[in-house]
Amino acid sequence: MDEEQARELLGFLCLDTRPDLKGQATGYVLGLTGSAEGRTLLAGRPDFLEALLLLTGDRSLAVVKDSYHSLINLSVAVGSHRVLAKELPVLLHRLLDSGYAFADQVCTLLSNLSREEGTCRQVFQAMQEEGLGLAQVVEVFCTEGYNKKAALHYVGPLLSNLTQLPETREFLLDRSRCVVQRLLPYTQYEASAIRRGGVIGTLRNCCFEYKYHEWLLSPEVDLLPFLLLPLAGPEEFPEAEMERLPVDLQYLPPDKQREKDPDIRKMLLEAVMLLTATKAGRQLVKEKGTYLVVRELHQWETEPDVQAACKKLIQVLIGDEPEPGMENLLEVKIPEDVEERLQHLDREEERQQQETQSKGPGAQLGSSGRSR
Amino acid sequence: MEAAAGQAEEAALASFLDRAQTQRYAGGFNPESWEQEFDKIPMFMKKSPAEIDPEQNPDLACLQSIIFDEDRSPEEQANTYKNEGNEYFKEKNYKKAVISYTEGLKKKCSDQDLNAVLYTNRAAAQFYLGNYRSALSDVSAARKLKPNHLKAIIRGALCHLELKNFPEAMAWCEEGLRIDSKEKKLVETRAKADRLKRAEQRDARKAKLKEKKEQSQKEVLLTAIKERNIKLFLEASKEEDEISDGLAEMSLNGLSSDSTTGTKVYLDDNGNLNWPVLFLYPEYGQTDFISAFHEDSRFIDHIQVMFAELPPWDSERKYHPSNLELYFEDEAREEMYQLNTENTLLQVLQHQR
Repeated sequence: MDEEQARELLGFLCLDTRPDLKGQATGYVLGLTGSAEGRTLLAGRPDFLEALLLLTGDRSLAVVKDSYHSLINLSVAVGSHRVLAKELPVLLHRLLDSGYAFADQVCTLLSNLSREEGTCRQVFQAMQEEGLGLAQVVEVFCTEGYNKKAALHYVGPLLSNLTQLPETREFLLDRSRCVVQRLLPYTQYEASAIRRGGVIGTLRNCCFEYKYHEWLLSPEVDLLPFLLLPLAGPEEFPEAEMERLPVDLQYLPPDKQREKDPDIRKMLLEAVMLLTATKAGRQLVKEKGTYLVVRELHQWETEPDVQAACKKLIQVLIGDEPEPGMENLLEVKIPEDVEERLQHLDREEERQQQETQSKGPGAQLGSSGRSR
Repeated sequence: MEAAAGQAEEAALASFLDRAQTQRYAGGFNPESWEQEFDKIPMFMKKSPAEIDPEQNPDLACLQSIIFDEDRSPEEQANTYKNEGNEYFKEKNYKKAVISYTEGLKKKCSDQDLNAVLYTNRAAAQFYLGNYRSALSDVSAARKLKPNHLKAIIRGALCHLELKNFPEAMAWCEEGLRIDSKEKKLVETRAKADRLKRAEQRDARKAKLKEKKEQSQKEVLLTAIKERNIKLFLEASKEEDEISDGLAEMSLNGLSSDSTTGTKVYLDDNGNLNWPVLFLYPEYGQTDFISAFHEDSRFIDHIQVMFAELPPWDSERKYHPSNLELYFEDEAREEMYQLNTENTLLQVLQHQR
């Protein structure tokens, strides 16, 4: 499409264009955003982006929908963020508006925008400036039926992306409040893998804050059972072992199923792994019978990289305690030559895995929603 | 003039002092009972009496009628009742506190804040009396007047906790936390309710599993009995729980013994049945009980052990093992069948009759 055609198309993307032409134009644009070239073409064009943003306020529902879906597709490209970020205040208010019919689309768009760290900061800043705290976002997320017309599952990945920033993690982990606790039940939310994955991603990111590990593992939050429950199957353990497990993992019914999405299983294992970084955390994780669950998972697991994650975790759980001075594995200083060797070994391992797999590395967990 | 007045005063004082030294002060305390009299003066009372008798205690009755004067506004009266209730509450006299708060509410004063407090305080008193449902209805009333009254919400959550309504307890906590996200009691209570809820779920799962296991054990047992062609005496099934269509003829109620020991027939690790067996000696009204009679063991072997030494009630010294005849009774047919003591229990049980 050359410059003249583009300008012509742009001409139709106005609020006061005749409805049928407008509808066709937006439909066409949506189709364009479905292809990589189309996206590259449009993502870098502020004029198109602004036009589409304006059209989200159109009277025709079809036009609004198409505009949102186009924007969602375009927002995958970081180049579009500069323009789109200007609209953040409006988008955020629409997200939290319980009557807004297109809250789901806004949600997905925000989730895409927040993926990139720079834009993520802008999202957070806009939230501050508009007086829309993280508390409200969590509240909306955890309120069933908050918006009758929108399921708001994509708030999950939005939260997960926001926890890239230490400030948001601090807020979620505020001991004097009850925020992270409200997210925990969603690790089992069957109706939406997006919501579930988003929550688990959020929790995993929070696990990087090792200062909070003891609190997270304490009865006040009790994070561990919620991470292990999706990984546990219907296996029966002898009574003595069963009583060692956390309450939520005891006497699971014979129809208990494990988390179906392997990427989510991997994230859960990563979160548990992070909790074993400190000595105190490691102790607590071991005490609660984590090994039993991960052992059974390893035997059941068929995905190679999840299996690898299982193995790594098992090694930590049954291995010896590290020497004094290495209590916090996240803070240990690895000497350069050792670092190099370890990286080399990792690369070797990966190469071997790929050879046996004969398929490329798996796609990154979809917190980027795409619309067709 | 002044000098004369001064002198008159001095004279009066002098005569007063003279008299005082000889005459007793008329209105003074009686030396024997001065402590009781002291306690009767409202100002010096340490505790107020439970009932105020105007005859005994006119001063106190007077004060009471001033405080509770009907001429004061409903708000003032309600406030007084509230304070009275609070005092009783502090003394842990919750029953009286409830009464006071109720009186306060009866005034139907127009100060809704005050009424909300009266409801909430009464709820607290009811809570400590263990009347959780009454307390809940009071906090609900309080919240109708003042939806954001945190104390009412906290009390409500605690009530639900006591009533083991864990999801409701958590919901109330979350409502309260929307108003004050850092309210410590609410954060704690929510965590507690969550823990208790999850423990309750675990207990339910455990019980269900246990029931399933027992059920399948019973089925295995019944199958074993049926395989051996043992006829069971059908006890009319009092309850509706038949096991399954296939085993419908045999109700398990008959299998659990209502004998004194409460033992049951069971399948041992080798796949053999062991039955509780009761021996009756009608001549002397005596019994013997074997709790686990292995189906492959013979009667004669047991009898030889049981009567190795003759029992004390055997006055005629005749119950030697070789002398004994054993019968079992089919109660339905009211028939007795003799059994061969060389037989095993299984053979006897399989008696065709």
